[in-house]
Amino acid sequence: MSSLLFGLRLSRWGILGFSLAALISTFIQAVGFYQIAGHTPAEHAAFGASMITLSSQFVALFPTPLRPDTVEGYVQFRGFNPLAIIFAVWALASATGFARGDEERGIVESELATGTTRPALVAARAGAFAIGVLVASAAAGAGFVFGVESGGESVPARGLIEACALLAAVGLSAYAISLLVAQLASARAATALAGAFLLALFLVNSLSRVMSSLSTWRWLSPFRYYELSQPLPPGGYFDVRGLLVLLAIAIVATAAAAAAFMLRDLGAPLVRVPSPRHRPGFGASSVPFWNVPVARGLYERKLGLLAWSIAMAVLAWVFVALTRTIVQVLLSIPTFVPYLSVFVHQKLYPAVLGYTWFDVAQLMFAALAITYVARWSSEDTDGRLEMLLSTPQSRAAIVLERMAVLIAASLLVAAVSGVVLFNASHAAGIDLDARRLVEACLLLVPFVLVFAGAGSLLAAWNPRAAVGLLGAFAFASYLDNELAPIYKLPAWVQSLSAFKLVGTPLLNGVDGRSLALMLLLALAGLGSSILVMQRRDVGA
Amino acid sequence: MLVEMALAAIRTSALTKDYRAGRGLFDLDLQVSSQEAFGYLGPNGSGKTTTIRLLMGMIRPTRGSAYVFGLDCIRDSAQVKRRVGYLPGDVPQFGSLHGGEIVAYLGGMRGGVDQRHVRAIAERFDLDLNRPFREYSSGNKQKLAILLAFMHQPDLLILDEPTSGLDPLNQQEFYNLLRERQKAGATIFLSSHVLSEVEHVCDRVGILRSGRLVHVHAVDMAETEPSLEEVFLSFFAEPRPKALPP
Repeated sequence: MSSLLFGLRLSRWGILGFSLAALISTFIQAVGFYQIAGHTPAEHAAFGASMITLSSQFVALFPTPLRPDTVEGYVQFRGFNPLAIIFAVWALASATGFARGDEERGIVESELATGTTRPALVAARAGAFAIGVLVASAAAGAGFVFGVESGGESVPARGLIEACALLAAVGLSAYAISLLVAQLASARAATALAGAFLLALFLVNSLSRVMSSLSTWRWLSPFRYYELSQPLPPGGYFDVRGLLVLLAIAIVATAAAAAAFMLRDLGAPLVRVPSPRHRPGFGASSVPFWNVPVARGLYERKLGLLAWSIAMAVLAWVFVALTRTIVQVLLSIPTFVPYLSVFVHQKLYPAVLGYTWFDVAQLMFAALAITYVARWSSEDTDGRLEMLLSTPQSRAAIVLERMAVLIAASLLVAAVSGVVLFNASHAAGIDLDARRLVEACLLLVPFVLVFAGAGSLLAAWNPRAAVGLLGAFAFASYLDNELAPIYKLPAWVQSLSAFKLVGTPLLNGVDGRSLALMLLLALAGLGSSILVMQRRDVGA
Repeated sequence: MLVEMALAAIRTSALTKDYRAGRGLFDLDLQVSSQEAFGYLGPNGSGKTTTIRLLMGMIRPTRGSAYVFGLDCIRDSAQVKRRVGYLPGDVPQFGSLHGGEIVAYLGGMRGGVDQRHVRAIAERFDLDLNRPFREYSSGNKQKLAILLAFMHQPDLLILDEPTSGLDPLNQQEFYNLLRERQKAGATIFLSSHVLSEVEHVCDRVGILRSGRLVHVHAVDMAETEPSLEEVFLSFFAEPRPKALPP
């Protein structure tokens, strides 16, 4: 019992954060439905038809919605289905955090030293996650109830309970699978391996909708069993066997993880990969980058930078490949034709590519900034900052160098993705304005700096809370950009969003005023972070 | 007065860090001369690490001042650290970086590190710098921290429990290294729980209790004077429960 409570104590922020995200997500989608779907049955039907046509573009990610002309169908599609993916990511982080992170920190060793058996410990942590995911699923349901009540409609209680149960079950099965995979790999590779495995399971199911050759394998994926049901919409269905299979996966994988944990040494993987013969050395690294400010920061993060560059390059290529299909589908939706006529005097394909790619690029670059801020925070809490400050570097120099490293990293990633975007679009017969593309890619750097400035200030003020607060800031900024036009909020409210400040540079060029505002915000964050850093106690 | 300040490697005046509820460091007046080895003794929570972190400019004093080689520890922090080698109480986590990369990283930030000296220290402690930090034992992590503190041949060594986690052979090697550095003109400020260690290494020992410096003991005293152990116990020999409750 005490292990279970301890597990809950360790994961309290995750439970709180994901519950809030689930509550807000379903609430906003429900309220948003009443804002955008119209008021008459005819408007609802037209909206539903548009959603079905649009969803066909994302069939490789999400199943086609059922009755999106109703609030239940719309929220099932836009609220609950994405939450299943988000809960799987949470499960991955939580399971690998326990299986390897807590082990590295010595927490697992301390718990085992109290006489707790390994299976009991695994069961306690899985139980703690089960409670957490149930709470978060209930929060998703509550958000839906509040949203629907704001529209004066009634909630289908049974369907809602089934939808929440499915959400919890898919999260729990993802947790158990991650826990099992994490036993096999070394601490360093556990998260990556478990993440890759979960992603593969997700893709086997989702791509099987467009690639029939994969359909024979989709039974392996827990996401398949989640999608067997769509309980929320009118006329929806609930597959009890699917839910039972998800629970069975959770139980069997947890038991297998416990068995694997019993078979391996603490701190070691179950499967050991033979390493090359080690040659001892007594000298410092002779790589010259370590002596060059900024270059040393980039060199230290070389693998991460490589991964970001490759990921963004692949995404850019995928978006170019999807653009033609997206445009064809948009043109087939009568309600979108007037909207698209705005682009008649422009080039339609570059316009759509500009909208879709740079929307995603902004999200990815915000995530890049958050990962750097997470690093700054952990440097503070794990004592590295203290060591850096034991060298003859001022605190201001450390903050400036951190920022310069992030500028260089974002420039590199923006350049790589920009070059791939340009070449891929050229090969696909989509002619992009080279000058505007360069400007648009460069504009991502001040965009990153807005988040980096805020993150730098937060990391200087309270490193332990910095990532959570910056994540909330980024989320709020994104929601502001997405929802302020729908809710017809004042223009100044929309201008508060960093996403709004970027605008549509590939279509309309760079807005000097917005650029100046972004630079000003970044400078304000940087300046205040230097001031706060100079006055604070490090490591206190 | 100015000459005295310049000669002192460390000088504090009414140095205070008040964490409230009686915790912290209070009104520390201390002077450590150049080339002196000064030991800093006290039980857990007595203020040893707080003093060290104030000297390194990691935390700001509530009041009072601290100078290293006549330089203000807060205002002239970067210049102070040019001449100081620092070993923190807790070895920081460097994750997957190799030992040699950590040395190159911090050496690059510091500048002017003699690579021959790095190699000599690593060989003395048999510290394999080709291994990832993650794979180091706690003893090897401590050896790396010692290397980082000594690698630039500093004028002042500020060491927070430097032998923690070292085996007896490596402890001896560390004492030898310390003596060599002192002979070369360095000043040493060393905190420890181990009476024999400070007695063995230091010229003078300051004893802290509840954040206050209660006594400074010269180690090399006549036999008629009380020993360090007797002095230490005289401050801390309060009656304690003799057995744990059943």
